[in-house]
Amino acid sequence: MTELLLMSISSFQAGSRMLPLAMHIPDGFLSLPVILVTWILAIALIAICLKRAQFEYQERTVPLMGVCAAFIFAAQMINFPIPGGTSGHLLGGTLAGALLGPWAGSLVMVVVFMVQAFLFQDGGITVLGANIVNMGLIGTFGGYYLYAAIRKSLGWNSLRGIGVGAAVAAWASVVVGSIICAFQLAISGTVPLPVALSAMASWHVLIGIGEALITVTALGFIYRTRPDLIYKAPKKAIANRSMASR
Amino acid sequence: MLLHIGAFRLDVDSERRSPWHDLIPSTRVLCMVLMVFAIALTPNGQWKTWGLYGLGIVTLVILSQVTFSALAKRVGVEFIFIGVVLLGTLFQRSGEVVWQWGWFQVTTVGLTNLVSVALKMLLSLTMVNILILTTPIPALLHAIATLRVPPLLVAIMASMYRYIAVLADEFQSMRRAALSRNLMNSRKTQRLVIGNMVGSLFIRTYDRGERVHQAMLARGYTGLFPQAEIPKGSWRDGVAITMVAALAIAGQMFYIQGR
Repeated sequence: MTELLLMSISSFQAGSRMLPLAMHIPDGFLSLPVILVTWILAIALIAICLKRAQFEYQERTVPLMGVCAAFIFAAQMINFPIPGGTSGHLLGGTLAGALLGPWAGSLVMVVVFMVQAFLFQDGGITVLGANIVNMGLIGTFGGYYLYAAIRKSLGWNSLRGIGVGAAVAAWASVVVGSIICAFQLAISGTVPLPVALSAMASWHVLIGIGEALITVTALGFIYRTRPDLIYKAPKKAIANRSMASR
Repeated sequence: MLLHIGAFRLDVDSERRSPWHDLIPSTRVLCMVLMVFAIALTPNGQWKTWGLYGLGIVTLVILSQVTFSALAKRVGVEFIFIGVVLLGTLFQRSGEVVWQWGWFQVTTVGLTNLVSVALKMLLSLTMVNILILTTPIPALLHAIATLRVPPLLVAIMASMYRYIAVLADEFQSMRRAALSRNLMNSRKTQRLVIGNMVGSLFIRTYDRGERVHQAMLARGYTGLFPQAEIPKGSWRDGVAITMVAALAIAGQMFYIQGR
């Protein structure tokens, strides 16, 4: 039984890692200075996230963050067609941010990257800091604040604000993350900047469209069915919630 | 920790008896981290250093009696997926041109880069996989907790590990349900269905988290898991760490002295 499950997990993983893997940098691609700087940033992010998430969720932190991390991990395994003919999979940073908030969302993503690096070698151990910065700090944290800014300007409680915000933030976070990743590779002297930029950015512009579409659809579904689960829930959710008998 | 039903296992070789298995898990993790950092931080083109590390890792493969086919399969699959990225390292402008085809030129610097990065990746992947194949995941989690990774982070990782299989299974069954209702036949509806799937699975996940929390409270949970007894290291662990550290430093000496 476990054997079967493991097989399905690994084949799942294998299938999904086919192309958009470029963002998970493996060991050996980055130089010492880049590794040091990104690790310092990552450790600071982890420390603050742990503190804030603990403060926000109290002793619910462990079970809730745990299942949410497992959820992101499972969601990343699913391939879907992206406009342009290939297929991609969700990274989920912006989705996690929009649903759990910037701190808890980043924490969940950090845990996902750590488990991927240690157990599945999806991304290296020495470069874990860089992967956390590229996809956790920029993808989730940056993604959330971009989403929040757009949501605020288009109407905090409207589906339009949430949808447009999430779409732009999801796309931008993937593209910006890949550009930063290209710069890290170039500074380390592994891949020259023009090659890294053109390969990474052009590819992630497409991946980002898929990311945006899935993020918006998922958030739309939650907005219609359980709006109270969106971080800083829209007003109608709060009104409904107080009337509903729980 | 709550690690039992439904969780997957990767450690096919954890039941063997060997000098490597005699080490406590935290020592093994420490050895792995030392080796991987030493391998990955060596500048490009230091063949002697990686030769030495390679020898060390081959010795470890033999010592730990890890199933070679399982190791080769894991490393091979992981290597292929990274291989695409590897090609990018070939495009360098500096150095002597070895081969040219139109604008595309292969230089000595590009080749050194490609082979160096490939070697580094191969060695570190092998090292990590030896650890993963010989150590059960709960033991690994305990080990990193004793190595001063914040307990809260480890606890979240443990509860994530417990639920990965459950959630992967739920995704599979939802996908199967959509497929059997013919909802996945066009690319557009496929995206819509998967987006809704992700949304509805998040709602279920969140509710599951609340339920798990209630169940934990009912069993006397106060915010952190009680720590199981930490296995005590013996003289072997000290020797192992010293040997790995010596190997790492010896490797680095090759090029530091060569300057």
